[in-house]
Amino acid sequence: MLRKKTCVAMLLAGGQGSRLGILTKQVAKPAVPYGGKYRIIDFPLSNCTNSGIDTVGVLTQYQPLELNAYIGSGAPWDLDLSNGGVFVLPPYQKGKVGEWYRGTANAIYQNMAFIEQYHPDYVLILSGDHIYKMDYNRMLQFHIRHGADATIAVREVPWEEASRFGIMNTDADANILEFEEKPKQPKSNKASMGVYIFTWEKLRKYLTEDEADKSSSNDFGKNIIPKMLSEKQVMVAYDFDGYWKDVGTIESLWEANMDLLSTPMPIDLHDKKWRIYARNPGYAPHYIAKGATVVDSLITEGSEVYGHVEHSVLFAGVVIEEGASVQDAVIMPGSIIRRGAVVRRAIVAEDAEVGAGSFVGEEEGNIAVVGHSVKVPAGVKVTAGQQVDAQTTFN
Amino acid sequence: MLKDVMGVIYTGENDAQLRELTMTRAIAALPVAGRYRVIDFLVSSLVNGGMRNVGVIMQKNYHSLMDHLGSGKEWDLHGKNDGLYVLPPFLTRENVGVYTGVLDALRSNTNYLSRSKQEYVVLCNSLIISNPHMDAFVQYHMDSGADITLMYTKDPSMARDEYGCYINVDDNGRVTDMEVEPTHPNLPNTSMDIMILKRDFLRQLVDKGVAHGQHALNRDIILPMVQGQTARINAWEHKGPVWLMDSVQSYFRFNMDILNSETRKALFPEDLPVFTKVRDEMPSRYGDNATVVNTLVADGCIIEGTVENSILFRGVRVAPGAHVKNCIIMQDGQVHSGAYIENCILDKQAVIKRNARLIGPSAYPIVIAKNVVI
Repeated sequence: MLRKKTCVAMLLAGGQGSRLGILTKQVAKPAVPYGGKYRIIDFPLSNCTNSGIDTVGVLTQYQPLELNAYIGSGAPWDLDLSNGGVFVLPPYQKGKVGEWYRGTANAIYQNMAFIEQYHPDYVLILSGDHIYKMDYNRMLQFHIRHGADATIAVREVPWEEASRFGIMNTDADANILEFEEKPKQPKSNKASMGVYIFTWEKLRKYLTEDEADKSSSNDFGKNIIPKMLSEKQVMVAYDFDGYWKDVGTIESLWEANMDLLSTPMPIDLHDKKWRIYARNPGYAPHYIAKGATVVDSLITEGSEVYGHVEHSVLFAGVVIEEGASVQDAVIMPGSIIRRGAVVRRAIVAEDAEVGAGSFVGEEEGNIAVVGHSVKVPAGVKVTAGQQVDAQTTFN
Repeated sequence: MLKDVMGVIYTGENDAQLRELTMTRAIAALPVAGRYRVIDFLVSSLVNGGMRNVGVIMQKNYHSLMDHLGSGKEWDLHGKNDGLYVLPPFLTRENVGVYTGVLDALRSNTNYLSRSKQEYVVLCNSLIISNPHMDAFVQYHMDSGADITLMYTKDPSMARDEYGCYINVDDNGRVTDMEVEPTHPNLPNTSMDIMILKRDFLRQLVDKGVAHGQHALNRDIILPMVQGQTARINAWEHKGPVWLMDSVQSYFRFNMDILNSETRKALFPEDLPVFTKVRDEMPSRYGDNATVVNTLVADGCIIEGTVENSILFRGVRVAPGAHVKNCIIMQDGQVHSGAYIENCILDKQAVIKRNARLIGPSAYPIVIAKNVVI
């Protein structure tokens, strides 16, 4: 028998993230690179470690290879433990039945046996869609103090954007009165962050009932939470006011990277008390050559800059050749920008190449994207908002 | 295949030539190249060569070395079988605690040697920085049928008066002549103090040597074998770059050498990554007015001033208006605005305050000790 854990975290990492276009063609969304040396999943995993939650199940099903390799034994996040640790949980055959995860609630339902091993009092549900630093332990204390059955983390969003979110209407004591998914006329601007704590006994009951309901789409936001509300369970909203950025679209992923270039950084990644851990590729320090110019940028180990870099984020192992110019861009691990190429307002995905003298992106307009391992030939033009994959032809 | 080889690194020697840099740490623990310690190169090279059992013999000032190596996790040396063995001095009947040479050190750790299971041992000293293909070296030794194979370099800059071991090698790779600590080296090849031999053979040599009151492996054991042709001693040339960390000047030169992209690529080939203790710093940030040329920068730095021909370790801050030229700034060093420093080595956490000026001669860089504020 495994030793009891007060709280077990379950991280929903199975979504395709189709709004990220070609960036998630080969990798699951939580494995998408961010901020020069991180992957999106580093944030919830590091938050768990820093919050003292040492047992984390990661539910995967879409393009899991890179994500699995990235998580590995969990050592980078100190989650390689003999009592607890991080576990990758793909769907599996149960008796004669085997099926994909049908929804967020179904994914947890299918892994109830995993959770039960630890006899937890509480279960923390997370997603791999956001960049934020949050102390889940404080949220758990809040949950316990309120004697809640469910606690939902909320973040105030600008009123004009509120209709894009799941909105919580609460009373003065943080009790949730109503939950509206993407309301046309929002009554509040408290958006659900997709971070939930449930008292496990209650969640188990609702998951089991939900599973039996054939009309349910087995989703936390659409089914579980409305049902618990309608049955007058104690549900409270936990206010979070730190940096919280959705990175679910090309534009927002680009913006979240650019946020790290403003002073002061809206999310402090230098914070020694709340480090964000990442798997380290083991490169030498980065090199800025004679004749290179680098301003207002973020650069990590293993990169080499011989050209011009301005207001950009360079990941590990990137090479910017002589005469190349990169501005307002995100260049992901292992990519090469050849001589004289110009990159503006763009994301260049992993191991890609921009040929000599080519143009990628424009000063204005939507973000241009070069896909994973794509080679943009020399002397061509990729326009604003264009997404280049292996099938793209140039004339 | 290479699982049958173990590595032993001797970190005993301490050298006054490195001034403040080795006051509190062994040379093996000296920070180099922006994010490494000297020993990272050898340990990584052994591990990249497939070795799973690596012993590190420590002697003096080994606290920072132990702190750095930890459980060996960063080098994948934290397995259940074998892994990293930290071997500090301890007092027993056999072990007097102070080693006069490698033989003493090996004699004192004879239990570790006899308990290990591997057939071969790669034995190294820790003053060298290089990243040799250990598997090629081991393969050469096994194919050649030699009793001992030494690794050597033809790089003339490795020669030192009254220090080191120099050899002549014939066309068959056999060592035909050897000199140890000559007044001026006469032989063209410098031994890198890396050798491979059978573990049992090493134990015999150690027992015999100690029984005869000998301390030095090269002078007392290997040299007579070469001269008397009593064993077959071969040599294998490492063609990549190599440096000897024996003075502030050589330390400074190594760091400046790797600013050259070709040299750096030769030291860090893609198939031989160098591992080190990870600090989980964010990428380095360049400010609006940063001017940085010909410089190596580790993670976690904030650069808002001017930096040229320098090495910045993790977490260094260069304030707006500060100017850093031909310098090595170790972990968490700070240069405040208006300060100008040239040809300086700042040890960890050193701080150069506003408008300070420090210019060292290029042949004799200024060393600012750890935690010093100027």
